[in-house]
Amino acid sequence: MSEVNDNANVEKAREEVKEPTKAEKVAKAIAERFPNAQVEVKTNKWGRERVWVRIDRESYRELMRFIKTLDGEAHYSIGIEQDWGDDLGFLSHLVIYYDDAPAVSLLIDVHAPKDDPTLPDISDIFPIALQFEREGMEMVGIDFENAPDKRRLFLPDDFPEGIYPLRLDDKGVPEEMVHNAGHPYYLKGGAKK
Amino acid sequence: MRAPILVPTVLRNLVRKPATNLFPKTEPVPVPENFRGQLKYNVDKCVGCRMCVTVCPAGVFVYLPDIRKVALWTGRCVYCAQCVDVCPTGALQMSDEFLLASYDNYDEKFIPLKEEKIEEIRKKLEEQKKAKEKAKAEKAKTEKKGSK
Ligand code: SF4
Ligand code: SF4
Repeated sequence: MSEVNDNANVEKAREEVKEPTKAEKVAKAIAERFPNAQVEVKTNKWGRERVWVRIDRESYRELMRFIKTLDGEAHYSIGIEQDWGDDLGFLSHLVIYYDDAPAVSLLIDVHAPKDDPTLPDISDIFPIALQFEREGMEMVGIDFENAPDKRRLFLPDDFPEGIYPLRLDDKGVPEEMVHNAGHPYYLKGGAKK
Repeated sequence: MRAPILVPTVLRNLVRKPATNLFPKTEPVPVPENFRGQLKYNVDKCVGCRMCVTVCPAGVFVYLPDIRKVALWTGRCVYCAQCVDVCPTGALQMSDEFLLASYDNYDEKFIPLKEEKIEEIRKKLEEQKKAKEKAKAEKAKTEKKGSK
């Protein structure tokens, strides 16, 4: 009986203090400053909130600078290049306001069409971003304009130009480049005698 | 200069017995329960559902559609036991064998279902098929006679 009451009280208390969370505040700040951006706060099944922002490439650099002004200690975790079909995407994961848990987890998504796959480089704002941009250049063929270092990062030097391993289209790795050590059933002629 | 704090520990250990296992002069350290050793395949239990082919991350299995069995090469196995968990008939089991060094990747011990056995199953299936057809034909004959 008392347990039920406790639960009810907790529920009530939660409803009363329904202040915006840190994530919601960040989402609001970004939405106000960049009316064109699509900003969304998503909550996963463990109750962890993340702020997802889809920004056009013209405002991308400005947004990154704005995040620096929100929190000077903003931590750039990772940049992820993606092939979306007609577009190439670059998704940056940042963590801000991490002095007290939970920190605000921020995902910035920017796309470039495949016929003009250029995005601005932001490594002057977040220096580590350059390593992820170098990976993005070689893996899906995004061109990061004005990046101070455009050398390959992971691919070997004798890898052919114009082939991007993570592309899903005809610029991806062709069939002839795929090797398999083989299964003895096939090697010994089991299937095709 | 102060004596390093490790000196008493070193001196103490000098007079203790070594804590090593002198394999291969002795037995190896015993394996725990549910140890994941070499994969064993019981071809008679296999119903050819292809679940193991789907879950195996290492490409160990090749499905043989004509006999509805799988050809394995455990030389590639990563001992994750996902196939054991997913196999509905218990045809796949982890053993406690782990001394598997070999000079040959394609050693017999890595290929549980041998080519000869595959041929044998093929022949057996063929014979069964023939026997069935024969029985059918005979049945049809007798029915014809009966209707006359
Ligand atoms: S144990 Fe894992 S790697 Fe080995 S055959 Fe089974 S599924 Fe494949
Ligand atoms: S999961 Fe088991 S029964 Fe199914 S094909 Fe594999 S070994 Fe045979």
